[in-house]
Amino acid sequence: MSSNIDYSIEPEVVEGQPKLNQINEAIAKPLETRPSWKYLVALGISSTMLLIGAVCLGFSFYYGIGLWGNNQPVGWAIPIVNFVFWVGIGHAGTLISAILFLFRQRWRTGISRFAEAMTIFAVITAGLFPLIHTGRPWLAGYLFPLPNQHRLWVNFTSPLIWDVFAVSTYLTVSFVFWYIGLIPDLAMLRDRTKSKIKKTIYSIFSLGWRHSNRHWHHYEMIYLILAGFATPLVLSVHTIVSFDFAVSILPGWHTTIFPPYFVAGAVFSGFAMVQNVLIVVRKIFNLEHIITLDTLEKMNKVMLATGMMVGYAYGMEFFIAWYSGNPLESFVFLNRAFGNYAWAYWIMVSCNVIFTQLFWFKKIRRNIVAMFIIGVLVNVGMWFERFVIVVTTLSRDFLPSSWDYYKPTLVDIGILLGSFGLFFTLVILFIRSLPVVSISEVKAVVKGSQPVHH
Amino acid sequence: MGKNKIWKGLTELRNPERSRLLKEQEFSAETKEDFQLSQLGGISRRKFLALSAATAAIATTACTNYRDKGSIVPYNQKPENVLPGKPNFYSSTCTGCANHCGILIKTREGRPIKVDGNPDHPVNKGKICAIGQASILNLYDPERVKKPIKKENGKSRELDWDSAFAELVNQVRSAESRKQEIVLIAKPVFSPSTARLLEEFKKRFGTTTIYTYDFLESFAKLNAWKQIYPKSDLPEFDFSRAKIVVALESNFLATEGNFVKNIRQFVSNRNVDKPEEFNRLYAFEGDLSLTGANADYRFPLHPSLFPLLLATLINEILSKYSNRLLNNKVPKDKILGLVANQNLENFSGKSGINKSYLELLVKDLIDNQGKSLIVTGDSLSEDVHLLAFLLNEILGNTKLYTAKPKPRFLNPSFDDFVQLSEKINAGQVGVIINVDCNPLFHFPEDLGLKQGFSKVPFVVTLTEDNNETAEASNLILPINHNFESWGDYYDGNNLYSTIQPVIEPIFGTFQKEDILLGLVNGQLRAGAFHKFLMDFWKEEIYPSSNSGVDFEQFWFSVLHDGVYIPPSNTVSNSYEPSFDFIEHKKLIAELTNDWTLVIKKPYFVGDGKYMNNGWLVELPHPITKVTWDNYAAISEKDAKSLKLENGSVVKLQRSGKEIEVPVFIVPGIAEKTIVIEAGFGREVVSVVGKDVGVNPIKLFGLDNSSNGYVFQDIKIIPTGKFRQIASTVEHHSLNDTGLKDLHKSRHIIQEGTLDEFVSGKMEIHRAKELISIIPEVKYTGVKWAMVIDLNKCVGCGACVTACNVENNVPIVGKDQVVRGREMQWIRIDTYYSGTPENPSVSLQPMLCQHCDDAPCENVCPVVATNHSPDGLNQMIYNRCVGTRYCSNNCPYKVRRFNFYDFRDHFADGYLYKDSLRLLNNPEVTVRSRGVMEKCTFCIQRIAEARQDALANGRQLKGTDVKTACQEACPAEAIIFGDMHDKDSELYYWRNHKLGYFVLEELNIKPNVTYIAKLRNKKSEEVA
Amino acid sequence: MDNQMNTSENLYGVGALFKDPNKIVKVVEKLVELGYKHWDVHSSYPLHGIPKRMRLKWSPLGYVALILGLTGTLTGLFLTWWTMSVDYPLTIGGKPWFSFPAFVPVLFELTVLLASVGTAIVMLFIIFKFPNNQHPLHDTEYMKKVSVDHFGVFIEAKDELFELEKVKSLFNDFGADEIIEIAYDRNEVAFKPKVFDVKFISFLVVIAIITSSVAYLFNNKILYFPPFDFMLNQFRLGPQESSTFFADGFGMRKPPAGTVARNQEFYPFKNKPDEAGMKLVNPLLATKENLELGRNKFNTFCSPCHGWRGEGDSRLNGQFPNPPSLHSEKVRNWTDGRIYHVIMEGQNVMPSYASQLTEKERWAVILYIRSLQRALNAKQEDIQ
Repeated sequence: MSSNIDYSIEPEVVEGQPKLNQINEAIAKPLETRPSWKYLVALGISSTMLLIGAVCLGFSFYYGIGLWGNNQPVGWAIPIVNFVFWVGIGHAGTLISAILFLFRQRWRTGISRFAEAMTIFAVITAGLFPLIHTGRPWLAGYLFPLPNQHRLWVNFTSPLIWDVFAVSTYLTVSFVFWYIGLIPDLAMLRDRTKSKIKKTIYSIFSLGWRHSNRHWHHYEMIYLILAGFATPLVLSVHTIVSFDFAVSILPGWHTTIFPPYFVAGAVFSGFAMVQNVLIVVRKIFNLEHIITLDTLEKMNKVMLATGMMVGYAYGMEFFIAWYSGNPLESFVFLNRAFGNYAWAYWIMVSCNVIFTQLFWFKKIRRNIVAMFIIGVLVNVGMWFERFVIVVTTLSRDFLPSSWDYYKPTLVDIGILLGSFGLFFTLVILFIRSLPVVSISEVKAVVKGSQPVHH
Repeated sequence: MGKNKIWKGLTELRNPERSRLLKEQEFSAETKEDFQLSQLGGISRRKFLALSAATAAIATTACTNYRDKGSIVPYNQKPENVLPGKPNFYSSTCTGCANHCGILIKTREGRPIKVDGNPDHPVNKGKICAIGQASILNLYDPERVKKPIKKENGKSRELDWDSAFAELVNQVRSAESRKQEIVLIAKPVFSPSTARLLEEFKKRFGTTTIYTYDFLESFAKLNAWKQIYPKSDLPEFDFSRAKIVVALESNFLATEGNFVKNIRQFVSNRNVDKPEEFNRLYAFEGDLSLTGANADYRFPLHPSLFPLLLATLINEILSKYSNRLLNNKVPKDKILGLVANQNLENFSGKSGINKSYLELLVKDLIDNQGKSLIVTGDSLSEDVHLLAFLLNEILGNTKLYTAKPKPRFLNPSFDDFVQLSEKINAGQVGVIINVDCNPLFHFPEDLGLKQGFSKVPFVVTLTEDNNETAEASNLILPINHNFESWGDYYDGNNLYSTIQPVIEPIFGTFQKEDILLGLVNGQLRAGAFHKFLMDFWKEEIYPSSNSGVDFEQFWFSVLHDGVYIPPSNTVSNSYEPSFDFIEHKKLIAELTNDWTLVIKKPYFVGDGKYMNNGWLVELPHPITKVTWDNYAAISEKDAKSLKLENGSVVKLQRSGKEIEVPVFIVPGIAEKTIVIEAGFGREVVSVVGKDVGVNPIKLFGLDNSSNGYVFQDIKIIPTGKFRQIASTVEHHSLNDTGLKDLHKSRHIIQEGTLDEFVSGKMEIHRAKELISIIPEVKYTGVKWAMVIDLNKCVGCGACVTACNVENNVPIVGKDQVVRGREMQWIRIDTYYSGTPENPSVSLQPMLCQHCDDAPCENVCPVVATNHSPDGLNQMIYNRCVGTRYCSNNCPYKVRRFNFYDFRDHFADGYLYKDSLRLLNNPEVTVRSRGVMEKCTFCIQRIAEARQDALANGRQLKGTDVKTACQEACPAEAIIFGDMHDKDSELYYWRNHKLGYFVLEELNIKPNVTYIAKLRNKKSEEVA
Repeated sequence: MDNQMNTSENLYGVGALFKDPNKIVKVVEKLVELGYKHWDVHSSYPLHGIPKRMRLKWSPLGYVALILGLTGTLTGLFLTWWTMSVDYPLTIGGKPWFSFPAFVPVLFELTVLLASVGTAIVMLFIIFKFPNNQHPLHDTEYMKKVSVDHFGVFIEAKDELFELEKVKSLFNDFGADEIIEIAYDRNEVAFKPKVFDVKFISFLVVIAIITSSVAYLFNNKILYFPPFDFMLNQFRLGPQESSTFFADGFGMRKPPAGTVARNQEFYPFKNKPDEAGMKLVNPLLATKENLELGRNKFNTFCSPCHGWRGEGDSRLNGQFPNPPSLHSEKVRNWTDGRIYHVIMEGQNVMPSYASQLTEKERWAVILYIRSLQRALNAKQEDIQ
C-alpha cells in the first residue's frame, strides 16, 4: 500500500535541492572526519558523569541501598523517578518514527533516525533502574519467568512484572525497528568506505544488503507493519508504567487518569529532549538544511499540545479529588500543593504548564535559543512531576503515625547524574559511529528523486 | 553436491546461484568427502557450539567441589530433660529493678533465648516489663567486663582471678587491722540469704558498714509517710479495688511502684463488658506521662500548685461534706486549720482548671470513700505526699493500701551518704566495695564521692559492665548476670522467690555473693553461694514450711515453681495514723509560679544500667516516640516564646551547675515547666550508650531531700546549638488545620465515653458491605486473627521488646532512626487531638494486619509475599529481591526493610560480636540485607504448636498459640486465636459491638480487630 | 579484489546504470514484456511504482505477522495460566488463581514482541536469505554507483533468455550511462578453509579457561559469601551446631548443676529401691498403644543388652557383660515400681535411662516387659 501513496505533492522537506550524492556526503561526513575538540569535550563531560554514577552505584551495591535517602514509608524515590522519567524520554522516538510515519508526516524523515536512537538509549538507561533499585539486585533474575530453586514463577498480577515485559518488549521492538531502518544506510557506508576494518564491520551489520528492489518491496511492507505494532506498543508502555501507581491503593496513585496523563507527559518530555539534542547536533555537524527549522517548530507545536494535556491532567486530578468527595484523596492533593513538598509541586507546574505557553508565539517557536531553554525547563518540570507523584504521595499516606520526610542523599544525586551521563555518552558515541539521519529516507523525498509515472 | 568449501557460512548451502554454478563446474572429484565434520568450514557454528559447550560443561563440573557445611556436635552426655530443638523453661526472679518480678526463662539446648513472666508468681502473674524482656541482651553483651582489671596510676591491666582476689583479701584485712572502715555500697537488699551473708561479713570484719540506696529514691515520700504513720511501712496501692484514682505527677502505670502489677490491677476495671465496674482516672501533672495519657480527665498543672490542689480538696471535703464522711476518726478542725482559706474558685483561678471538673472530682471522692486513691509521684515534695496521705486517710482509702516489698539495710535518708563522704574525706575509710552499683553516676557531684575515692586506699567495684564507678576504682571484679547466678528474694511480708542460673557463667565470672562469701571464708569458690543459699533455706525457711516432704524435695519444688509462700501468712495491714505532726507543721508557702524543673524516672533505661542495652535505648519513648536521647520536655507556648524548636539545645543553670540539653516540644506540658528523665548521659559506658542523652543529676546539689526532685531555682538559656533528635514519628503542631485530628476523621482511632456506650448513643463507624466480583478465597480449619483492646492497652512497650527478642529484630542505631528506618515489627502509635495545651492522647499498637485481600501481595513481582492456608500473610525471605513495592502499597506501613545489614552497620558490627550469636532465636530466620520483613504472627510458635498437636494426635486449636506480644502484655490487651472457633475468646471479641478494623473502607479485610476505647467521662464529647 | 577482467565461464550477469529514475521505468516495462525472470532493479532508496511494474507478488509479511502475533498471545495465555494456576498456585491478595484481567498486559506485550521480531527475522533470514556478504554483486563498481546516486538494472546469466550481447545492446538502446559485466570472484572460488586452524583452537581454549574460572568463582566463592549466600549461614546457633564462642566448641550447653527446669519431675526414691517398689504403681493400662510404645522403646534402648525377648542375650557379643534374664524368678516377682527404679537409677553396670525415656515411656516399657514375661512363662490360665 505504501507504494501507491503519491509523495510528489508534498511540500519541501529538505531545503535547497541537494544532489543525492551530496546527501551521502553530508550525512556520512561526521563518520569520516576526525572528531573536533568540541566533540571530545562533550564526550569527556558525559563520560565523567557516567563514571560518577557508576561509582555511586558501586558503593550502594557494596554497602546496601541504605546509602540512599529511602526510608519507611518512602520505599520508592529517586531511582524510580529516574526510571519513569527516562522511559518517558524514550517515547518521542518511536512516536516520531512510527506514528508520524503512519500519518505520512514527511517532516519526520530528517529526525526519525535520531529520535529512534534516543529512544533506545533512553530505554536502556531507564531499564537499569528497576534492576538496581532493588535491595538484592543480584537476584534480578527472579523477575523473569525462569525456572529456579524455589520452583516459584513470577507474579503475573504485579504491575512490576508487566513493566518487565513492557519495557523489554519496547526495547527490543524499537531496536529492531531502528536496525531495519539502518540496514540500507549501512550498506551505503559499506560501499563508500575505504578502510578495511570499517568495511568488514559495515558488511557484517548491513547483512549484505544489495539495494535490490525485490527487497525494497518487502522492506517497505515490514516497515509499515513494525510502525503498526510500535504505535500501540509505545502507548502501552507508559500506560503500564503508570499502572505501577494506578494499580496500587495509595490515594494520589490510585487514579484512572494516569495512563493518558503519563503518555502525554512522556511525549511531552520526549519531544523536549529530542529537540534539545537535535539543536546541538544540527549546529555541530551543520545539518541545518536536513534537520530544518520547520521540523523544530513542528516539534514545538507538539510540545505545546502535550504540555496542555498535562496541565489539564493536573487540574483534573484536583477536580476529581474534590468531586469524588474522598477525604483521603483531597488531602493528598492539597498536601501536594501546600504540604511539605509544595516546592517540588510548584516547580513542576511552572515548568510544564506555564512556560510552555510561550510556544503560542511563532517568534519563540522559531527562535533556537528560546526553544532550547524551554525544552530544558520542560525536562526539569517533567522530572519533578515524577518526583511529586512518587515521593509526596508516599511520604504522607493513610496513617499519620507512619509519615516521614524524604531527603535524597549525595549518592542519589550521583546516580541521577550517572543516568544522564550514560544517556549522553551513548548519544555522543552514536553521532560519530552511525548516520544520524536516514539517508535512504531523505533521498526518497528529495525533489526529482522519484520517477514520474504517466 | 560438493564444493561446499567455496562458500562461507551455512546459508550458502541453500543458495540457488551456488548450486547452478556447481553444475557448470566439472571438477566434481571430491564429491565423496561430503559432510565430513572435518571438512566443514572453519567457523562452522555446529562445531563451534559443540566444542565450546563441551568445554564449558567440563569446566563447570570439574571446578565444583562441595563446601564443608559445618559439623554436627551432639551432647557427649545428654542431660536429662533437654531435647535438642525443644525449649526448656526455668523459673527465676528478675533483678532488673527493686520489684523483683518472677520470671520464666526459656532456654534452648541450655542457652537462654527469651524471658517472660512466671505465671505462678502472685504479684506479676506471668508478665514482665520491657526492661525484664530485654535484660537477656545484657547477659550476652559482648562489652561485659570479662577479667578482673587493676587500675594503677591511670593505667589498667587485666589480672587473673587468683591474684585479683588475693589482693582484695589483703586490702580488706589490712583495712580491718588498721581499724579503718570497710564500706559496702549496694542496691537495696531483698535477698534474705544475701542479708545473712552480709551479717556474716560484718561479723567477720568488724569495721564494716553497709550503705544501700535506690536510684531517685523518694526520701520525701518516706519522710512524709513516717510523719503520719510512724508505726508502719510505706505501702503500695491495690488499684484493682479503686474506683477513682487521682494521680498527681504520678506515673504508676509505667515507672513507679510495681507497674506491671499496677497495670494489671488498673485495667482489670476497664472491661467494656462490665461498664458498672469502670474506674476513673484523674491526672494532674506538669509532664505528659503515660499515666496521664491513659487518664479520663487530665489537667496540666504547674508543679508548684500541687500542695495547693490537695489543700483545696481537703478543705472542700472537710468543710462541705464533713457530714458525709464515713471516717470520723480524723480531727477535722486540726486539719482544717492546716489547709484553711483554700477554696475551689481560688484554685481554679490560679490553675485555670474549670471549677466544674474540680467539683466533679470532689463528688467522685466523696461518693467513693474507701474505693478511691490519691497517688503522688516520686518526684514531688514532702508536703504533697503528706497531704495526699492525709486525704487518703480522711477518705478511708487506707483499705486499699497493701504491703510494699521491704528491703534490708535501706538507708532512710540521703544524709547518711553525706556523712559517708565526710568520713571518707576524714580518711576513716579503708576499703570501699561497690557491690553492683554505680554511685558516682547516681549521686550528685557535690557529694564529692569521686574525689573521696582517690583518698580511700582501696576501692573495688563488682560490676557486670564498665561504669563511672568502676572507672574510678582500683580494682574491677566482673560478676555474673542474674541468669548466671543463684539467689532468692523476700518481699518482707509473705512471698519468697528464687533465682537459679540457666547457663554457666559465659565469661567465667563469679557472682557477687560468691566473692563476698569468698572474703568471709578467705577463698574464692564458684558455687559457694549455691551451697550457702541451700543451707540458709534448710535452716531458716524449710522448717517453718512444715511440709511432709524432705528438704531435697521441698527445695526442688521451690526452684521448680520459683515462688514460695509460707503457710503462716501473717501480714498485718493496719495503718494507725497520728496527727501530731500537724501542730508543728507549717505548709511551705506556695512555691513561686516560675520556671520549674522536674526530674523523673526514665521509662526504659532503669537507673542508667540499661544504657548499654540497644533494644531499650531504641525503644521509642511511650509518648514522644523519641529514641536514643532524653530531652527537656517543654510546652509549645514556652517554646514559641523562647523561639525554640525540637532539638534546639538550651542551657539549664542552677546554683552554679549547668547542663546543655536539647528541648522537645510535648503537647500538654504545663507552662513554665521543664521535665527531664534521669538515667541518661552515662559517660563511661559501652559503645551502645555513647553520647546518648544528658545526665540531669549534674544539676543536683546536696539539697533538702524534702523538696523531692522538683527544682524552682532554674534558669533556661537558649544556646543557638542544635541536636538531631531521633523520633520514630513526624511531629507537627496540633494547630496545623490541614493535619489536625486526621486519626479521627479517618477512623483510625475510634473512641467514645462510657456514658455514650451505656446509653447506646455511641456508634462505631463501619465501612459498608461491598459486593465482590471475584469468588472469595475459602479458608477451612484454623484461621488466625488478633484482637487488641484499646481500653486495656496502656502503651507500656513490653510487647515491642518481646517481639524484638522473639524475632531477632536488629538494633539500627540513631542515624537510621533519624532516617526513618526503625525495624520494630510492632509499634505503638500516639495520636494527639484537642489543643496543644491539653491534648487527649490515644495510643494504638500497630502491627501487620494480615489482611485477607492483602494489597502487598498483589504487587510483589516475585510472589515473595503471599497468603497461607491458615490466613497468614507470609514472607519468603529468600525469594524477596527487595523492590519495596509491598511496603509502599501497605496502608499501615508495618513492613520493615533491611536497607543495610543492620547488624553490621550498627556501631561497626557490634551485633556481630560472637557472644550475640547466642542471643538470636534459633527458630527465626536472621534476615539478610535487602530483604523485606514484618510481623509473622509468630509463625514459629504456630509451627511448634502444630507439631505438638500432630505428635499428640490432637487437632490444632487457636488457643494453643500465644504470640510473643500477647504473652508479654501486662494488661492482657492482646488476644490471639482462631476466628473460626465459635466459642473462643477471640471470636467473641472479634464480633464485639465495639470492635472495628483500621481503614476498613479500603476493603482489604484486615484481621486485627481493635476494641474502641471508652473514656469514663461524664456525658460529654471526647476532647 | 578486482574481478572485472574475467572469462565468461563464471560470469554472473550484466548490469546497466542510469542516472535518471524515469529511464528505469521504461527498461523495467521492456524486460517484463520480454519475459525475463532472473533480473532485478537496484536503487539506494525505494523507487515508487517499480515493484508494481516489475509484477512482483504481494508481500506475504502481513500474514506472517498475523500468525506470529497470535502465537504470541497463546504463548502468553499458556504461560500465565500454567504458572499461576497449575504448576504453583498461590493465594495472592485474595484473588482467584487465574485472574485473567491482570494477565492482559503480558499477553499484549508478548503478542507485539513475537509478531514484530519474528516478522523481521522471517524477512531478513528466510526471504532475503541474509546474511549474504559473498554475493557476486558486492564490491563492484555497479554496487558502489547504485548506492550513491545511480539506478541499476541487472540481468543474471542464469536466465534462459540471457545472451550477453543481446542484453548489452538492449541496455544501450535505453541509453544506459554504463554497462558492467560481473563475474564470480576467483579468490572465493579458490577458497579452501583449513579445518583445525590455530585461531579456532586457541579461541576454544580461551573460552574454556574463562568458563571454568567463572564457574569456579561462582560455585565456590560467591555463593558462600554473604549477602549472596541465600542466608545459608545465619548468625544464630541451631541445635547440635558447633560454637566458636565457647572454648570447648559445644554449641549445646548443659544446664548448671542443681537447677530445676519446668518439665522436670522430682524422683523421691533416690537409692531407696524397696521404698520405690512399694510406693510406685504403674499409672498405665496394658492398652494396645501403650504396649506398642513400650515395645518400640524396649527394642531401641533395652534390647541391645537385654535381647529382643529380655533373655539377657546381648547383641553386643561380649563387649559388655551380659545382663541377667528378665525372666528370672526375682525379676518376675519385682513390682513395677521396683523395675521403674532400676530404669531411673540403673543397677550394677546398667546406667540410668532417665534421660532417654520419659516417664510415660518408662512405664510403657515395664508393661511390655510384663507381657514378655507373661508370654515366655505362660501360666495355666493364660493357655486356656
